[in-house]
Amino acid sequence: MDVIKTRLIGDAAPDVFFLDALEAPFLMENNVLEPLNSYITPDFDLADIEETLLRPFTLQNQIFGIPKDYSTLALFYNKQAFVDAGLDHPPVTWDELLVDAKQLTLDRNQNGRIDRYGLGMIPELARQAYLIRSFGGQVVDKQGYATFASDAGLVGLESLVTQYRDDRTSARPIDVGANSGIEMFGQGKAAMAIEGNWAIPFFQDTFPNLEYGTAEVPRMNNQPGTMVYTVAYVMNRQSQHKSEAWELMAYLTGKTGMEQWTRSGLALPTRKSVAETLQYDHDPLRSALVAGVSYAMPWQVGNYPAAVMNQFNNQFISVMLGEQSLQPAMLRAQEQANQQIKAAE
Amino acid sequence: MRLQNRQKYIHSLLRESAIGYGFMAPTLLVLAVFVVLPILYAVFLAFQKVQLLGGIEYEFVGLRNFARLMADDRVWIALRNTAEYVAIVVPSQTVLALILATTLNAGVRGQTGWRILYFLPTITSSAVLTLIFMWIYNTNGLLNQFLAFIRLPTYNWIGDPAVALKGIMIMNIWSTAPFFMVIYLAALQEIPQSIYEAAKIDGANAWQQFWYVTLPLLKPVTFFVVAMGIIGTFQLFDQSYIFSNGSGGPNNATLTIVLLIYQYVFRDLQMGYAAAIAFLLAAIIITITLLQQWLFGKQTMN
Repeated sequence: MDVIKTRLIGDAAPDVFFLDALEAPFLMENNVLEPLNSYITPDFDLADIEETLLRPFTLQNQIFGIPKDYSTLALFYNKQAFVDAGLDHPPVTWDELLVDAKQLTLDRNQNGRIDRYGLGMIPELARQAYLIRSFGGQVVDKQGYATFASDAGLVGLESLVTQYRDDRTSARPIDVGANSGIEMFGQGKAAMAIEGNWAIPFFQDTFPNLEYGTAEVPRMNNQPGTMVYTVAYVMNRQSQHKSEAWELMAYLTGKTGMEQWTRSGLALPTRKSVAETLQYDHDPLRSALVAGVSYAMPWQVGNYPAAVMNQFNNQFISVMLGEQSLQPAMLRAQEQANQQIKAAE
Repeated sequence: MRLQNRQKYIHSLLRESAIGYGFMAPTLLVLAVFVVLPILYAVFLAFQKVQLLGGIEYEFVGLRNFARLMADDRVWIALRNTAEYVAIVVPSQTVLALILATTLNAGVRGQTGWRILYFLPTITSSAVLTLIFMWIYNTNGLLNQFLAFIRLPTYNWIGDPAVALKGIMIMNIWSTAPFFMVIYLAALQEIPQSIYEAAKIDGANAWQQFWYVTLPLLKPVTFFVVAMGIIGTFQLFDQSYIFSNGSGGPNNATLTIVLLIYQYVFRDLQMGYAAAIAFLLAAIIITITLLQQWLFGKQTMN
């Protein structure tokens, strides 16, 4: 992304590139993307594309990007670990998850170093933002200023912190020497993990013998919630070859092209018709991911995502490590993020 | 007659300097374009707010960038981290370099072999070194295995804010000390043998020879080593960038001034403010170097 921004400034950006929903508001606001409304023909069948996924690339009724694929988060659980602990189904609510995690946490040789944690978790806003919403909080307001430290926003996060600090039934990948949440889960160091579609091909390649299942993310406060990450193809406004650029985009995000790219299962299709053809809603591993789209929160936090994200992540880690308690830390993060945003505007 | 001579003299002087500048022109041009102009442009930027995306625009904001700098917590965190880093790394690497150089100079067997071995870390790319060290620092990595073996406490070197910067320090001391060792080694071999002979005749033992002969004679080199060390360590960037994936985390523990500048320029696209921070860094480095020159100079006079 640093490279694309630099090239956009230097008038050396490609005609078509793909853009993360997170970075979209800033680029849309700064008029460097070509609005696509005039290119879209009825043939292209825009209505076929999931509304939730198109919205992050729309500003004032102008469409700036066509989402090419997405992933939501789902609960991955280790079937063997569940059988061993006498659990016959994955948790449906967050309270169940907390109870199950206690049973799944194991110290096999009783040396005080836990060999398997109940839940592998990643203390980053990108992964946990939906918990802020579950009790009615908001990550950012309409102007893009951080508001995550509201009382309602903190309830969901608090339960995450308590589990990590007091129950000690969850761990970060770095605590167990893994590089990522999926590696931690694959190595059997966590019995549950909340991850996305990217985990499935990774397990196939790296841990082919792993027996796992997926389920929708447990409900918190009786609200279904998850994140959705999406990426779109966008066109450079400075492009000299706009009609060719659109031809490429229309193919890549059209019905034939998308089927081609999403058939391997590396990514989920944004077109309902393609999802139907490929039957991902009946796939035993992917149905939980597909089900999340309807209620998921798109990962997008205003025009200055870096400020919001960095401040949150920095302070949240320090809370997890027990250096400070949640509310003052989050208030400080929010205030600093907003200061940074104000200075940037 | 005299006047004519004088005119001739001035004329030839002018011609001489013109030729001189002619010879220097390529270098001067390169310096002007790649050193002086960017500095002037940075001065200009530090007083502007720059809109980069979608048409470049400048807006004069006076001292507002500097005012913001005073109020920005992250600048002070980065400054504190960098200062701590400099305060620990520079003395350690200087002492270590001196020790390595003296032992090598004392004529250990297989001197060339040792020299190559010592020098290897310096010629290895720092990006590669950082990646190797991240494996060593892994919670299940080599270092923790070793610490556990000799019954010392183990740490989460990459994830724990309390030790993450220490990890980078160890890595950097290990990789830059050999470079300064080579400089010390060259200087040690410059010291004439006759001075040591004279010291021996006066009854000085090995330790006294080192303390009263070698060290004082090495002083100019030590000044160079410390000055270069300070400049280099204040500009710490690549290690902490790779270590923290560009975020300066965990909890700002590996945030350094240069990393902060990078973040403001390439992540947030705030050229003007970043230029202001760069000025702060330049001012600090210049002050410390001058201070150090004054200190060393005073001692030499005594």
